[in-house]
Amino acid sequence: MSRVCIPAGNARGQGWATGGKFLILCRHAQPRSPTASYQSAAPARGVRREPRILSVNVPANIPGDDPLVAIRDLRFSRGDRLILDGIDIDIPRGKITAILGPSGTGKTTLLRMIGAQLYPEAGTVTVDGQNVHKLDRKSLYALRKRMGMLFQAGALLTDIDVFENVAFPLREHTDLPEAMIRNIVLMKLELVGLRGARRLYPRELSGGMARRVALARAIALDPMMIMYDEPFSGQDPISMGILVELIKELNHALGLTSVLVTHDVAETAGIADYMYVLSGSKVIGHGTPDELARDGSAMVKQFLQGLPDGPVAFHYPAEEFTADLIAGSEA
Amino acid sequence: MTDLLAHLGRWSLGFFERLGRGHMFLVSLIAALPQLAVQWRLVVVQIWSTGVQSLSIIVVSGTFVGMVLALQGYNTLVDFGAAESLGIVVAKSLTRELGPVIAALLFAGRAGSALTAEIGFMKATEQLAGMEMMAVDPLRRVVAPRYLGGVIAMPLLATIFTAVGILGGFFTGVGMLGVDDGAFWSQMQASVTLKEDVFNGVIVKSLVFGAVVCWISVFEGYDAVPTSEGVSAATTRTVVHSSLAILGLDFVLTALMFNK
Repeated sequence: MSRVCIPAGNARGQGWATGGKFLILCRHAQPRSPTASYQSAAPARGVRREPRILSVNVPANIPGDDPLVAIRDLRFSRGDRLILDGIDIDIPRGKITAILGPSGTGKTTLLRMIGAQLYPEAGTVTVDGQNVHKLDRKSLYALRKRMGMLFQAGALLTDIDVFENVAFPLREHTDLPEAMIRNIVLMKLELVGLRGARRLYPRELSGGMARRVALARAIALDPMMIMYDEPFSGQDPISMGILVELIKELNHALGLTSVLVTHDVAETAGIADYMYVLSGSKVIGHGTPDELARDGSAMVKQFLQGLPDGPVAFHYPAEEFTADLIAGSEA
Repeated sequence: MTDLLAHLGRWSLGFFERLGRGHMFLVSLIAALPQLAVQWRLVVVQIWSTGVQSLSIIVVSGTFVGMVLALQGYNTLVDFGAAESLGIVVAKSLTRELGPVIAALLFAGRAGSALTAEIGFMKATEQLAGMEMMAVDPLRRVVAPRYLGGVIAMPLLATIFTAVGILGGFFTGVGMLGVDDGAFWSQMQASVTLKEDVFNGVIVKSLVFGAVVCWISVFEGYDAVPTSEGVSAATTRTVVHSSLAILGLDFVLTALMFNK
């Protein structure tokens, strides 16, 4: 086994310019079997490990009072249904911020607002000081190059293989020579443990592998932030464990700002620095995982503890049960 | 009665709103076309996908249409002692009408539906949204090459359809029914004109059909409801709307080009 230093910045030289941000990866001589990437975090002797970040120099400038994303009084409806109402959220720089909530509460909608794929009825979303909904197309695309997003289904391009998927943003946005693109793609794939799967097509990947490839693609241009849309849903425990570790390690190693939208409380609480809970179109609680665990709100408690009944009723609103049965027999 | 009027009003509003959206989409699409000059490889791939992969159905259909045309034409012409004019009947019918129209109908069924399904599936699986978030315009990267590739492929397919149709007519008329081959070709040469029949009939008509079919196909895919039912409905709409547009436009173009 040998060690190799990889600059954490992008190919345009930003990584070198910032200085001090280096990932030190394990590099293994022997080829990897496809199943080996599912080894647990503590493998037996002789069994290969996931590529691990051994030492990290986190950038020093992570301000607490200058959020990277500031959402103010956001309101959005679909038809007659109010999805988001008066949402105020701050996403601090360099931290993992989780947005939790039951299915259908508008978490994904919120992410799409941050990426300016959807426009609000009222309120503002500011990313790195820019109101994303006021930007012209060119400025918005320039900002999006600095934002990565991991979609729920991976959103990999199905007609090209894993390597080309990760190379896609590099080919679209840079004029790098082929040899350099190859090296960058292999570095990114090594980070997510799928360098050996580079010639597979998306249809040949498991759900977890597809998300890891999508993660490699999302960090191809070394963005300032990554948004994860339900990264853990439908994952087996091993894939989930790998994703949890990857999100945590990439965030800390690359100095990223991560926004995690999910309803998997336990996994998220383990890695998030700050959490917001959305329900009924509003933010019903926020704080560090410990603060939220002590939150006295019945709604927050019901969601975090997974209670079947509470302020969020088990039953969908309906007329009285007996009256409904009688009405059916009379009909 | 009020309900009927309300329903009609809602339908009309929906129809015109979608028509407007389709035209706005076309304007954006045309604006994105010049950028393909630097990414011409994407267009070549689409010419292969929509054109080359449609060749088998075009060649087989063209051959049989030409053979049937010769058979029917011979049965009528022989009663008037004009069987030697079979070449004119076959060539004129194919160049002015059957070649571009049937080739376009087959193109809509084979390539148009595939374009809609592919773009609709990309939308349903968030591939288009993913591109947008990577600061890549899906209209430029996905839609425009498919549109231009289809528009280029359509006249080529119609030309091939017409050519193999004439060969099919020759095979039936001369090979099977005994029409003189010299008369077949010479009368065709004397009657078919490059400008009216080949250029106006085959090239211009098929270019217009290609532009409209590809517009409908890519718009339906891009505008599809991102579910399996939505993509399925969009694919059906592509074939129906394209077929109606081809037949309607054919009448208009024929009236403009060949009205004496």
